[in-house]
Amino acid sequence: MNEISPLQLILESSTGEKLVMLSLLVLSMISWVVIVQRYLVMSAAKSGVSSFEERFWSGMDLSQLYKEGTRIQQEDGQVVGMETIFRAGFKEFMRLRQQSSVDKEAVMEGAQRAMRVAYAREEEKLERHLPFLATVGSVSPYVGLFGTVLGIMEAFIGLATQAQATLQVVAPGIASALMATAMGLFAAIPAVVAYNRFTASLDGVTSSYIMFTDEFSSILHRQIHSN
Amino acid sequence: MNNAFNNLIIFNGYPLAVVVAVGLHVLLLAGLLYLQSNNEVEALELVQPTVITALFIDENPQVRNERVIERQRVQRQQEREEQQRAAEAAAAQQAREEAERQAAEQRAREQEAERQRQALVEREELERQRAEQERLRQERERQQEAERQRQQELDREQAQAAERQRQEEAARRREREAAEAAAAQAARNEFELVQSATGLIQQLVQEHWSRPPSARNGMRAIIQIRMLPTGELLDATITQSSGDAAFDRSAENAVYRAAPFSELQDLPINVFNANFRSLSLIFEPQDLLN
Repeated sequence: MNEISPLQLILESSTGEKLVMLSLLVLSMISWVVIVQRYLVMSAAKSGVSSFEERFWSGMDLSQLYKEGTRIQQEDGQVVGMETIFRAGFKEFMRLRQQSSVDKEAVMEGAQRAMRVAYAREEEKLERHLPFLATVGSVSPYVGLFGTVLGIMEAFIGLATQAQATLQVVAPGIASALMATAMGLFAAIPAVVAYNRFTASLDGVTSSYIMFTDEFSSILHRQIHSN
Repeated sequence: MNNAFNNLIIFNGYPLAVVVAVGLHVLLLAGLLYLQSNNEVEALELVQPTVITALFIDENPQVRNERVIERQRVQRQQEREEQQRAAEAAAAQQAREEAERQAAEQRAREQEAERQRQALVEREELERQRAEQERLRQERERQQEAERQRQQELDREQAQAAERQRQEEAARRREREAAEAAAAQAARNEFELVQSATGLIQQLVQEHWSRPPSARNGMRAIIQIRMLPTGELLDATITQSSGDAAFDRSAENAVYRAAPFSELQDLPINVFNANFRSLSLIFEPQDLLN
């Protein structure tokens, strides 16, 4: 053996180590799927917030906004984020207001409850899979370390059968053992970075949802007490 | 609402995410492969050193035997030369003495003739008496001559004896040389035996030698081992320390672990006695990377 490449190291490692590295590779793949998917969802939610807020505050009639949403929903079934909250609240508000027996406070309460439910559902959608990223970020270094320990054990067991303890005998084993730690870190670092980033943007989006809910309920409140 | 993102997040964006993640990992693997092929281009020439050399030194029995034989041969040669020189000197001395004696006789004869002539001229009447005396003298001379001849005979005999002795000497020498040649042949056979046995011991010890981390190139420890004809190790002592206690200990342990050298049982006992009763091993690492 006159040269050692990372791939060779992986191929020459023991079975336990290979299993560890394979699981790390799978973890890394899944976490990258989650990262990309969450990125798309978060971006869509953020752009949805800004575009809907623009339309909402443009002075458009609320019932017309609602009808527009219904049309989009019928066309391609994609109504997301803030608009869902608006639609849930507005729908409940209109439905309760048409029943004359219900008093104004009950109408407001019903609309707010509907918005809270929609908000919770939206928030749940946004933070789905994020715990998985957190788990990968904190666990995969340990998994890699476990693989390294296995590999170093293997190397030292091999050393015991040698008459002469030269560096050349242990070096490849230890190098391939360290490969496992490297892969653990490779899986963990992006996961941790993405988790932190996504929780931050999640906070931003949910706080804007809460703000919108408050503002919209104040608008509804004004409307119900004006006539 | 029909913006780019809405198109991307069909089925919550999962298809795209999977494609991106798989692509990323494939890219990473391709990078590794590229690194590997790059490595191959500038392949580092790792020097693979010879594992170990445990040398058998000075105490090497073969070398010692050869040296002793050589010394004996030189000594014999010198002795022979000495004898030859002595014999030559003796012969020269003899020849000188012979010549002196002959010269003396010659002188005596001349004086005698002179005296005869004078006697002839001066004393005619005493001639007869003289003649008588002359006869007596001649008689004596004859006796002397006989004596001399006997002496010469004796000398010749002595010379012949010396010659015979020289021939005998030569014959003996030839015999001795033949014996030496036979001994050399035997020594060569022995040499091969000894060499294979030493090689074996060296290899065994080498296999059992695990050097401590403190071992450095150029360290040198000499261990003297004593063995029984069965190949069992009697004891091993450090005759020359390397200066590093761990290194010395490792060398000593190697010897103890390599023992017994059961292959030594097959050696003829005289070969064993001459070569393997006691043996010195040099431990000298030469392949370390420091």
